[in-house]
Amino acid sequence: MSAAIAVAVLGASLSLNGVFRGWVWLVPAITTVFIVGLTLAVLRALRVHPLPTTLGGLIALVFILDFTFFRPESIAGFIPSGATLDTLGQFLKRAGETVVSETAPVSPNAGIVFVACAGLGLVTVLIDALAVPLGMPATSGLGLLVVLVFPATIKPQGGGLLGFLAAAVGFILILGCSQWFAPDSRLQNDNSHGTGQLKRSMVIGGVALVLGLLLPLAIPGFERGTFPVGSRLNPWGVSNGLNPMITLGNSLRNPTGDGSITYATSSTAPVYLRSVTIDKFDGDTWAPDDREASRRIGPGRMAPDYPLPSELVRQLTVIDTGQFTSPYLPVPYAPTAVNGLSGRWSWDPETLSIRGEDGTTRNQQYTVYSALPALTTATLSQDNAKPTSISQDFIQLPSNVPDIVKNTAKTVTAGANGNYAKAMAIQDYLRSSQFSYSLQAPVQGGYDGNGMSVLADFLQQKSGYCVHFASAMAVMARLEGIPSRIAVGYAPGHATGATVAVAGQEPLPEYQVDARDAHAWPELYFEGVGWVAFEPTPSRGVVPPYAAEPVAAGGPSTNLHDENLVPGSSTPAPSTAAVPPLAGPGAGSGTGTVSATVLYVTAAALLLAVLAASPRLVRSGIRARRLRPGGPVLAWAELQDLATDYGVPPVPSETPRHFAGRLSNSAVLGAPVAAASPSGADDDAGQRAVASLTGDFERQRYGPPAGVPANTAAEQTHAASVRIAAVRAAFRHNASWFAVFRAEWFPPSLMSRWFQLLWSPFRRLGGIFAAAARRAATSVQRLFEAIRWRR
Amino acid sequence: MDSKRHGTVDEQLLRDEAVVALPPERESLNGYKPTVMDPEQFHAASEKILAAINKVIDGKAEAAKLALTVLLAQGHLLVEDVPGVGKTLLAKTLARTIDCRVSRIQFTPDLLPSDVTGVSIYNQSSRQFEFRMGAVFANIVIGDEINRASAKTQSALLECMEEHQVTVDGHSYQLGEPFMVVATQNPIEMEGTYPLPEAQRDRFMARISMGYPDKLSEIEMLETHQAVSPLAKVTPVVTSADVAAMIATVQQVYVSQSVKEYTVALGRATRDSARLRLGASPRSLLQLLRAAKATAALDGRDFVLPDDVISVAESVLAHRIILDRKAASSGDTPQSIIRAILASLPVSQDAGAERRSS
Repeated sequence: MSAAIAVAVLGASLSLNGVFRGWVWLVPAITTVFIVGLTLAVLRALRVHPLPTTLGGLIALVFILDFTFFRPESIAGFIPSGATLDTLGQFLKRAGETVVSETAPVSPNAGIVFVACAGLGLVTVLIDALAVPLGMPATSGLGLLVVLVFPATIKPQGGGLLGFLAAAVGFILILGCSQWFAPDSRLQNDNSHGTGQLKRSMVIGGVALVLGLLLPLAIPGFERGTFPVGSRLNPWGVSNGLNPMITLGNSLRNPTGDGSITYATSSTAPVYLRSVTIDKFDGDTWAPDDREASRRIGPGRMAPDYPLPSELVRQLTVIDTGQFTSPYLPVPYAPTAVNGLSGRWSWDPETLSIRGEDGTTRNQQYTVYSALPALTTATLSQDNAKPTSISQDFIQLPSNVPDIVKNTAKTVTAGANGNYAKAMAIQDYLRSSQFSYSLQAPVQGGYDGNGMSVLADFLQQKSGYCVHFASAMAVMARLEGIPSRIAVGYAPGHATGATVAVAGQEPLPEYQVDARDAHAWPELYFEGVGWVAFEPTPSRGVVPPYAAEPVAAGGPSTNLHDENLVPGSSTPAPSTAAVPPLAGPGAGSGTGTVSATVLYVTAAALLLAVLAASPRLVRSGIRARRLRPGGPVLAWAELQDLATDYGVPPVPSETPRHFAGRLSNSAVLGAPVAAASPSGADDDAGQRAVASLTGDFERQRYGPPAGVPANTAAEQTHAASVRIAAVRAAFRHNASWFAVFRAEWFPPSLMSRWFQLLWSPFRRLGGIFAAAARRAATSVQRLFEAIRWRR
Repeated sequence: MDSKRHGTVDEQLLRDEAVVALPPERESLNGYKPTVMDPEQFHAASEKILAAINKVIDGKAEAAKLALTVLLAQGHLLVEDVPGVGKTLLAKTLARTIDCRVSRIQFTPDLLPSDVTGVSIYNQSSRQFEFRMGAVFANIVIGDEINRASAKTQSALLECMEEHQVTVDGHSYQLGEPFMVVATQNPIEMEGTYPLPEAQRDRFMARISMGYPDKLSEIEMLETHQAVSPLAKVTPVVTSADVAAMIATVQQVYVSQSVKEYTVALGRATRDSARLRLGASPRSLLQLLRAAKATAALDGRDFVLPDDVISVAESVLAHRIILDRKAASSGDTPQSIIRAILASLPVSQDAGAERRSS
């Protein structure tokens, strides 16, 4: 039994593959579940009382977790000590951070694996407690469901077939085994079919399993449920802004995302709004570095730490953030002053990103003065020197840069001379037709997220969205010696057509940015020029003029969008148009839709028909199975069910004879024999059949064991079928058409059994609760009495 | 498994009951082995007896059948009703239809135990004490108005009923077989009566109540009973050997495991019932099952159905259980409570139970 539970839990946990990266977590998980299961089995074999058994399981869980994770801090290697608790706190903190800041697959760090193992162990104990002492093996499926729910909601591909299958097999095993290891006779009284139970539950479970797997294929649109493919359950809100790299993908995929930003700018072209930059490329997950040490309060006047060229294009932008909520303030690059903010804000001189100290961007209206070096191809081309004036942070790469990234960077920039040429070569490569923009591909390919390994996947698959393009360009630039960082923010958005009046200015055109415009782009540093934004993401955003391909140099244009995205063009491309259609309801391609629809409708109709007919089919299946071996007992059971179907259900306190008498006198079997003079042979046949069925059953059930072999088995079978048929004919002859219809299509005997099956776990739970409540009441009463006695 | 253990427990219980209620179904002690009748003979004999009784007592077929059931189950019958409804007539008729020794004791307050059991008298000629048998030395003893005798006399009958023997002056004398006491009594509220103690009531297998005859039967009764006592026309229809054979047949009736379980469940239900102060004793369950066997045999079957148990349960159990005071004051009767228990007690008839019991 415990083995079955362990199998089930481990099977379900297989589906966690994909939530974690790699298989490192599996060994501790198996150890934990195995040890806990073993402890429970041993305690049970020793016939320990159920409560201590469960407690023992919990203690074993604590020990094994301690042994696996906190060995150095523990007494004797497995007994928790004070130091263990400290480490535990750290672990939990790490796990919490992982949960909040990473997306699946997460790195299997000790914290999160610890939490997973603890959860699996608890589920094991819970299932064991449900299945064995409480005698509710069916409910133990809930525990398995708990395990399965996590990957199903977190993992982009859903729970995964393997895990589901393994969990289902385990569950069936639990059900099967529970028959043998039932702690009391309750279970056997409920459905005591002895030896065939395991086999039968296997068959039923197998059929249910196959159905469950086939149904989604047969029903159209099943894949679009509450959790569309690729979206993730994020209980902390769509944009908590803790890690913009992650919220980015989410807000792109959930275009209904909260709020939109409107801005009006004096710039000739709509501007990119930058929230934050990411410049540390080590670690599994890239996140913004806030540089707490060097931050400065008050963005009223801002000046970067690096030298700027004298020639600057100054701009004014008025921004209203509306409902958009993030700790980082979206501003056009490069801000020199921000006015009108409420709350305390700080800025980082190295990256010029502005962060709220005690507030968020929600409902802020502010004016940003920004200055951008006047950039032309010519000025950029001048710079070939190694950058010296900025921090080395922007050039450092972790040691684990995958080979594919290095090789690609080398190949792409092979012919380029100078930093600008190299940057352009990288951008061209990424904008080339080899790469496609897709929000779904990374999710399906399992490389959604960020980090070095993701980058390698992206360069292989050549499909992804802005995060991937931007990080690829940033990393490759660093490989080529160009300082780089990834900017996260919003693409220009689209014009609303309205204008905003700003004091001392002409009315400025207003633009609107919403969640679909969430964007990431690389910024590269050129000595003497400063940080320069590039746009390697195909079909997104606006390619700045300096970064746009000179027609002669680039040969055939790599991207059609370049033409109409030339800066200054009055209509900035609404990026919505550029987003490839999501795989949604309306996305079905035109050709073949009709035939597919017909197919689906037919399949659905067929399925419905099978569903509607299933009670009838099951009922007749039961009948056939009962009548094949014959035997008065089975025939009697069939007679009872038949009578139930036609509205004469047997009463538990009734003897067979009494039941038969009631049946004979009921209207459905026609008039009683005494009054049946002209009523026809049909009724008589029914009456006679009931009488002989009753007699046979009584003899079989209550008669002496050897008193039956009057006729052979085959004869008996035949007689039983004939009699049942006669009774049925009489019923159909006498009952109303509605009763006949109900009996044929929704047989009450079957329905009530199904309902009972459905409700039995709840009823039993209710019973347990009631008993507990009674016990509690009694003890409270006793307590009161004791108190009174004292007085 | 568990259920099987259940089964053995039940069997054990039944066996225990047999030990408690000594002696169990006895073989004939009079030397000859009664032969088991075949069903046709049994049916014919029982039909003859019932027809004879029904000729005398109109409209009381149920009571007659129950009386015969008790006779065949080797029990004793207590007929309780108001005066004048034919209690004594029933007892006498039953006794007359069988060719056997019948004696009648009219219980009165001054009746002595020796009048019942017999007494040793000094014989002048042989110069020794001789035992003069009392009225109890018969096959069927009619104890009329048994609750009019003193407790001392009543209990003198006890040994006879239970042990089928009489002990006087240290000598034990066996009674004949079959032996049956048919006692009549007035309801205990009537004046001048000594109510039967519980222990003694428990010795009677069944208590029946005659009830008033219906209109037609009463009219007919007025007609036929005018001239001559109907008892005079009754002639024995079966011999005592026949009755012994019938009793042996009844003993052969098969009782399946599930019927035993049902009987035990019924007994336990009476003990657990909140409305009863005293439930059915193990002995009463044994007698219940015996009566059920006789009923089955009279019905022409060689095995007992739960229906048989149910049909005799009220008569067998009602006089043994004692109501809780609350239940009594709220208008419940033992009969009604037994009926309620029967209505709520499940009869296991599913296929699974069948397989379990085998």
